[in-house]
Amino acid sequence: MKQLSRYAALLAMAFLLLGGSVPAIAQILVQCPGDLNGDSIPDPFLLLPNGNPSNKPNPEYDPGVKCMHLSAGDGYISMADGRSMYMFGFGDVTGIPEDRVMEEGMMSAAFPAPTIVLDEGDRFYLNLTNVGMVMRPDLFDPHTVHWHGFPQASSVFDGVPDASISINMGSTLTYFYHVVEPGTYMYHCHVEATEHMQMGMLGNLYVRPAQNRLPAGQDLNGFIHQAGYKYAYNDGDGSTYYDVEYPIQIGSFDSAFHDASESVQPLPFALMRDDYPMLNGRGYPDTIVPGSLTPPMENMGRVSQTVSSLIEASQGQKILLRVSNLNVTRFYTLASLGIPMKVVGYNARLLRGPSPDGITPGKDLYYTTHSVTLGGGEALDVILDTADVEPGTYFLYTTNLNYLSNDDDPFGGMMTEIRIQ
Amino acid sequence: MRLRSIHAAKLPMVLSVALCLILWGGPAWAMIDGIPGPSFSLTATEGHISTPDGGSVYFWGYADGDGLVQYPGPTFIVNQGDEVTVTLTNQLPYDQNASILFPGHVVSTQGGTPGLITDEAPPGGTVTYTFTATHAGTYLYHSGTHPELQVEMGLLGAIIVRPAGYNASYPRAYQHPDARYDQEYLFLLSEMDPRLHLLVEFMGPDALESTNYLTDYFPNYWFINGRCAPDTMLMPGVEWLPTQPYDSMPMMRPGERLLLRIAGAGRDVHPFHHHGNHSRVIARNGRLLQSGPGTGADLSYEVFTVQSVPGETVDAIFEWTGQGMGWDIYGDPADPDYAHMCMDTNGDGFDDNTYEWCADHGKPFPVLLPHDLDLTFGGFWSGSPFLGRLEALPPGEGGLNPYGGFVYMWHSHTEKEMVNYDIFPGGMMTMLIIEPPGAPMH
Repeated sequence: MKQLSRYAALLAMAFLLLGGSVPAIAQILVQCPGDLNGDSIPDPFLLLPNGNPSNKPNPEYDPGVKCMHLSAGDGYISMADGRSMYMFGFGDVTGIPEDRVMEEGMMSAAFPAPTIVLDEGDRFYLNLTNVGMVMRPDLFDPHTVHWHGFPQASSVFDGVPDASISINMGSTLTYFYHVVEPGTYMYHCHVEATEHMQMGMLGNLYVRPAQNRLPAGQDLNGFIHQAGYKYAYNDGDGSTYYDVEYPIQIGSFDSAFHDASESVQPLPFALMRDDYPMLNGRGYPDTIVPGSLTPPMENMGRVSQTVSSLIEASQGQKILLRVSNLNVTRFYTLASLGIPMKVVGYNARLLRGPSPDGITPGKDLYYTTHSVTLGGGEALDVILDTADVEPGTYFLYTTNLNYLSNDDDPFGGMMTEIRIQ
Repeated sequence: MRLRSIHAAKLPMVLSVALCLILWGGPAWAMIDGIPGPSFSLTATEGHISTPDGGSVYFWGYADGDGLVQYPGPTFIVNQGDEVTVTLTNQLPYDQNASILFPGHVVSTQGGTPGLITDEAPPGGTVTYTFTATHAGTYLYHSGTHPELQVEMGLLGAIIVRPAGYNASYPRAYQHPDARYDQEYLFLLSEMDPRLHLLVEFMGPDALESTNYLTDYFPNYWFINGRCAPDTMLMPGVEWLPTQPYDSMPMMRPGERLLLRIAGAGRDVHPFHHHGNHSRVIARNGRLLQSGPGTGADLSYEVFTVQSVPGETVDAIFEWTGQGMGWDIYGDPADPDYAHMCMDTNGDGFDDNTYEWCADHGKPFPVLLPHDLDLTFGGFWSGSPFLGRLEALPPGEGGLNPYGGFVYMWHSHTEKEMVNYDIFPGGMMTMLIIEPPGAPMH
């Protein structure tokens, strides 16, 4: 099966490249103010004829503009028990010129999808190019991006296909977000959501608060801000300060569903039951592999799992875990063994009651626990304070203990290590 | 590549602003269908419901008096302080007792026969329950006789208790301004395992003993107010869904406060995700989230996904204005039909009538949208990114959004629950429509 898939992938890719199956009207079109060469990266300086930057400032450059270019297509990942899994996903094609996006974007699906990190106040242009499903040339699925939890959203950029538009193969749709609220969000494709999300079109997305950019020495209600200090939210008192941050996205795959998709069989929606629990697209022990995993051979060298969940800090540091859950079948509980969890944010908002007058802060609703429970589409911000924690290895794991497995392999699955030096 | 140009307003803004000046400030809508109290007469009996995949599921439910059995049972709408009396007549098949529990209330019973949890109506008999609706809020009621089976079979419903001093023109969910709202909707969430219903219909409940269906529960239909999507979005009381009278189609205008009353009536936890904006959870299980009497909802918190737990209710306030979007939601200034002003005389930053966020007024639409041939269109797509605008679409596209509202999916984010058996989309899903000022609703 593996050999077969590999050849099929090669053949399908060659066919797509040679045969020019891209519809004639369609075009890859990047929209990114200040980007002069279509690679979705704003250029601070004008470009020389050879493409290199000159020393003349680009008048259209605006540091408040951020851009990204995602491909939407298919690919493979490696599961922690060694098997490879077919998936749909987003790939990062930022930095690739428009005319090469199709060839670079095919089979570039990553799991989780490329992490999106923004700053409060950014104007974010997100280009989404549908590169088609190489392994499923029978499918003509459009795709979208749904920024899950975006406050005061418009319909057109919400990514719900029923309520707006979705992008067909070979074309680009540009989403625009004025990022006015910090927090831990997530994103996913909303087309045939049960299918495209089970298949892996899910990723981390978070926004850092404006409080990070305060001038050094600013007094935050008794807490003195210094350059380089980071916070989860605009807390006004330094209570969400952290030293290191890790996005942790809960997910799980149903291998029978993925196999049915790969072999063009009817999809078992009714029987869906996940058997590969994961954090950031990997089961333990792959979760603690630093950097990227070696891609499965079906992927022809394209790296598809770049997000490690190994959590490292020095004793005394505060660790911010940006926990989100985008699995499609059930609730999961994540527990921390030995390090208390302080929950400071929930669903991309500071966990605090409303201000009674618009000025006085509301009541703190922070709480300390050793486990958090999230359904699909929920997010939590947890601070692990290691001040009183002995150096060593600690575990972050699901207490739904039957999900500490990778399919038939016992002791793996939804778990990672916290290493305190 | 030809890019879609933005022009041709079909609902001129001048007209809609004029209309909204006429319509604004009218009384709020109490849109939850139900029956008024304080005395109720229910009959427990059998029937069938329809699912959008063409299925027909056998169920047991409560009927209002000798009316049609329904799923969920009739929603009781009572006032705080009411002495509520519910008389239950048992017409269930298979010679079994029937009963009702009212979680959150202190109940006394009359008539009937003693059961394990409460007094029950014997086959063909009756029992009467009485309780005082001491607290405002959203509550559930359900069978207390073999609830592991009878609740699954459909014997459940909701109770709305209006606060003391309730004024339908300025409604509140609780006696505090933090609980005021303009629109209110019930989202009673439940699910069914069709294997179990099929077996009970043809073999009777005793046949369950040779299965593991009750312990190995595996639902495949998911409901809001007793309907699976897309039936959730049909009108209430449509004649082809006689046993499922309640719809779930939230609608509001910018600047309004929409009260969600979410009731976890089934067995599973559901992450109910409402697109469009955060909501503020102000109450759980009929109690305002307050630190003391009169403090208001000072312990409330904001979410984009509500955790709906079995047996619990959540009240949340949802608002939407499009504030800070970074572009003018009523049109592009380059558009010849762009003719609206943002008039903020009260200084809150919003237009006094349309709730347009004036800081974004006149800001151009930030991107060019692809050509029609590069796009797939949704049924609720108006053809325009602007609120209250319509644009030409290819034949057969769009059409479900005649006033150019902004439309957001509200659904279980356990996305597996967005199917009807093996067919996507469906299940626990509906759409919120934010209608432009001046457009009619309902």
